[in-house]
Amino acid sequence: MKQITNDALRLKLSQEYRNAHFTWIFTALFALLFLVYSFDFSTQQVRLPVVIFFVIYAVTALYVVFLTKRIRNDVIRKGEVQKRTRLLAYPLLLTIGAGNIFASGFAFALVSRNQTPEYTFASYALLTQLFVIGVSAFNLFKPYVVDTFLLAMGLLLVAALLYAVMIVLTARFVTAESAPKWMLIPGIILLFSLFIGNFFGFLLGYSLIKKARSKNPSSVEKWHTMWLKITRNTMAIFGMFFITFIFSLSVVSEWIFDYDFATQNNYSAILQNPSLEYPLGTDDFGRDLFSRIVFGAQISLIVGFASTVLPALVGGTLGAISGYFGRTTDSVIMRLLDILYAIPGILLAIAIIAAFGANTVNLIIALSVGAIPTYARTMRATVMQLSNFEFVEAARALGASDASIIFKQIVPNSLAPMIVKATLTIGGAVIATSSLSFLGLGIEPHIPEWGNILKVGSTYLETHSYVAIFPGICIMLLVLSFNFFGDGLRDALDPKTN
Amino acid sequence: MTIPEFMKSLYLKASIHRKSYWLVIVLSLPLHLISWVLYRVQKPETNYIEKLNQETSLFSEQQRHYWFEDFYRQEKAKDQAFQLHQSEDTLRKTAQRLAVQHEREELRKKLEKQGVVPQTYSRFTGDLIGKPSFFWMTLIFAFLLYSFLAGRSQSFAWFVLGRLVQTLFVIVGVAAFVFTILYISPLDPAQNILGVESTPEQVANFNRIYGLDQPYLVQLWNSLQGLFTFDLGTSFAGKENITASIASKFPVTLIIALFSLLMAIIIALPAGIISALRPNSYWDYTFMIVALIGLSIPSFWQGLLFILGFSIHLQWFPATYSTSNWLSLVLPIAVLGTSIAASIARMTRSSMLEVIHEDYIVTAKAKGLTERQIVSKHALKNAMIPIITVIGLLFGGMLGGAAITEKVFNISGIGSYIVDKQFIPDIPALLGGVVYIAIAISLVNLVIDILYAFYDPRIRSTMKKKG
Repeated sequence: MKQITNDALRLKLSQEYRNAHFTWIFTALFALLFLVYSFDFSTQQVRLPVVIFFVIYAVTALYVVFLTKRIRNDVIRKGEVQKRTRLLAYPLLLTIGAGNIFASGFAFALVSRNQTPEYTFASYALLTQLFVIGVSAFNLFKPYVVDTFLLAMGLLLVAALLYAVMIVLTARFVTAESAPKWMLIPGIILLFSLFIGNFFGFLLGYSLIKKARSKNPSSVEKWHTMWLKITRNTMAIFGMFFITFIFSLSVVSEWIFDYDFATQNNYSAILQNPSLEYPLGTDDFGRDLFSRIVFGAQISLIVGFASTVLPALVGGTLGAISGYFGRTTDSVIMRLLDILYAIPGILLAIAIIAAFGANTVNLIIALSVGAIPTYARTMRATVMQLSNFEFVEAARALGASDASIIFKQIVPNSLAPMIVKATLTIGGAVIATSSLSFLGLGIEPHIPEWGNILKVGSTYLETHSYVAIFPGICIMLLVLSFNFFGDGLRDALDPKTN
Repeated sequence: MTIPEFMKSLYLKASIHRKSYWLVIVLSLPLHLISWVLYRVQKPETNYIEKLNQETSLFSEQQRHYWFEDFYRQEKAKDQAFQLHQSEDTLRKTAQRLAVQHEREELRKKLEKQGVVPQTYSRFTGDLIGKPSFFWMTLIFAFLLYSFLAGRSQSFAWFVLGRLVQTLFVIVGVAAFVFTILYISPLDPAQNILGVESTPEQVANFNRIYGLDQPYLVQLWNSLQGLFTFDLGTSFAGKENITASIASKFPVTLIIALFSLLMAIIIALPAGIISALRPNSYWDYTFMIVALIGLSIPSFWQGLLFILGFSIHLQWFPATYSTSNWLSLVLPIAVLGTSIAASIARMTRSSMLEVIHEDYIVTAKAKGLTERQIVSKHALKNAMIPIITVIGLLFGGMLGGAAITEKVFNISGIGSYIVDKQFIPDIPALLGGVVYIAIAISLVNLVIDILYAFYDPRIRSTMKKKG
């Protein structure tokens, strides 16, 4: 009896076993989805490409089930995953060709024993890069590509190569505590990943520099533990992957995608079904939905970030002042914010847009105003707790001014809950943006934005439902990713709230 | 204790309480007119100073010297520690001063034990209030003060009163805020209604009819009056009575909101409880991933998908709302309820997880209760508190989110009314719609807060501590 409970506990603690379970279930779910979609009920025909995808996913799922069994045996008999099992994960790396992020992510996690956050960053940087390149490659089926296409694609490939090399290097040389000094050079190069929107690459670079310099061991350890917690949270890392993928795509789309396909009317190709030239079909003006959705991601991300950062700054400042000074200041600020809090965000946004007209800037302001009180409340609660701590007393005894105590002592220490809150509300902002655009109250209708595309799609729901389905899936996945990532961040930063 | 005596004790308590200090002074102004005159005339005899002088002999010379020595030692140690290099003379003087202070303090304590207290003005006023004749005579013009004091002593009534005032303030604030936004709008309703070719006279006439040419404060006052007397006049376009149309559109929105809340609770509570009881199990993961998907799905898109699936393909439910067919309410309720259900399920899980590790649950387990009994009788009751708060807050978001769902399903509720009116912008109609929704939300939250204070013993005890 005791043996069994020990085994169960061991399996529970084994990261690989849990990941394996997760991977085969999700791969099987996708296989099922492909199976359902492979038969067109209206025309009684089999969709051949979908069947191929189904077969690939089904085989992958079976292979992962087999790996799961092996891992289980290894963990129960030997206490840890054996080398041979790890070798068996290499073929699984090929699943990236089929776009199976679950299986390929799992494969990367299984092949190396050295699971530092840097290794995860490197592997997901490569995965993101390959996904971006894969999606961008669809432009080759268009009648023409933009002038910068080849150059940009070449650059992306070079970056992918760099990440591939980094995977091997980090697996070999980076430990939990430190990295060799020469890692500074690739670290600095990797910081440029931000220009192609690859967060994973940027984080990898930053992390390597931090570890290679190793000036402050406690800060390195803090950084390491935090990211280890996030990278071990499977859903959080997939959320981060999708956010990075969309971000990277919307950054590089400037040089790879042609904006004309998304905005210029093409009456010879109205409401086409998905094909290689138009991967997601066309809308009622013959505009390519694929390009529109890619450019729509830019708007969604910009509005989402702006309408999160703005209220976080304003609300955070008000909350900090309110929480620090207390008494009358607190009452006045919080009672005034109560007024804002009593109006539902969407209604307030509608009222503001009604007054000032519908455009992008007004939309950002309208969404921001309604979000101020929640940030102020979060900040206030944290600051009230913090201002009783000894280090604040000490700063006061040393003669620091109120402003310097608030902004140098208290605010840096109360950022964690604000960051978590912000991550969890970006999703809401993205939904609100597209909802208001759908009502005709958000982004101007000529700009390709997900809500605007859906608005068109809603009129063709009966005949061409894909126009409404694809942008909706994008919104949902992006918001879901932000929520998963936010949850992971919350668990990593504050284990108590879990 | 008679009423005047009770009032006296309340007054004395309130006059030293920092929080309500100014309020007490303002409220008791009429009272002070009399009591100040009496104080001046009577010059109440006080034997405090005399007693003070008498009692000085209570302390022996030795005692005094001991105190002095004590302070001197302290001062000296302080001087050395901080390296102040004060002269011997200064040290002695400081020690002497402190010793005298200490002696006075000791004396005051001793006298207080004997019932001798310094006579101050506020004490004099308190004594006056304690006299029945004075109390009943001043009842009329110090009524506000007395009712304030009485209200304060009843912590629950005080709490309710405070929340009522706060809600009133928020409601007026919301009305003023929304009006101000619409007032400073650069858009011109007159131009939009009358068309581009309207003459300046026509525009001026339009503005005069609707009072748009009046100064800000007058317009604001008129709007507030209209809101609270339920007479907002007629809308700019269509000239229908705004209050009547809002009143006719509110019920649909409320019905949908209430039913979706009910649906959400029925689905979400069990899901959350199961997830919390079996954390990290398959059920837990499934429920929580589904809940997160429910949170992440845009409601208008979900509405479109439902119409596509259930109305167009399966033809189970009609795609648009009609008053005669209750089946047409099913899809909007499901759509509106999804995100609420997701939030409630997540909140239930985390709240239950917190409660389930408390000591009293362990006790219940040790008593031999079954899991079902523990959950239903012990855990759920305490876990419900944060859940109900969240439900109250979600109700607000739901009434706001109704605007989008109503547009998708073509329901003529308050939400779609607001959206329709914003294009002009029809100021009184918009104002009415938004403010009445905000009022509904504030009232719901007020009721929840008060119920809490009534049912939760912990909140009641903290209220008493404060009062």
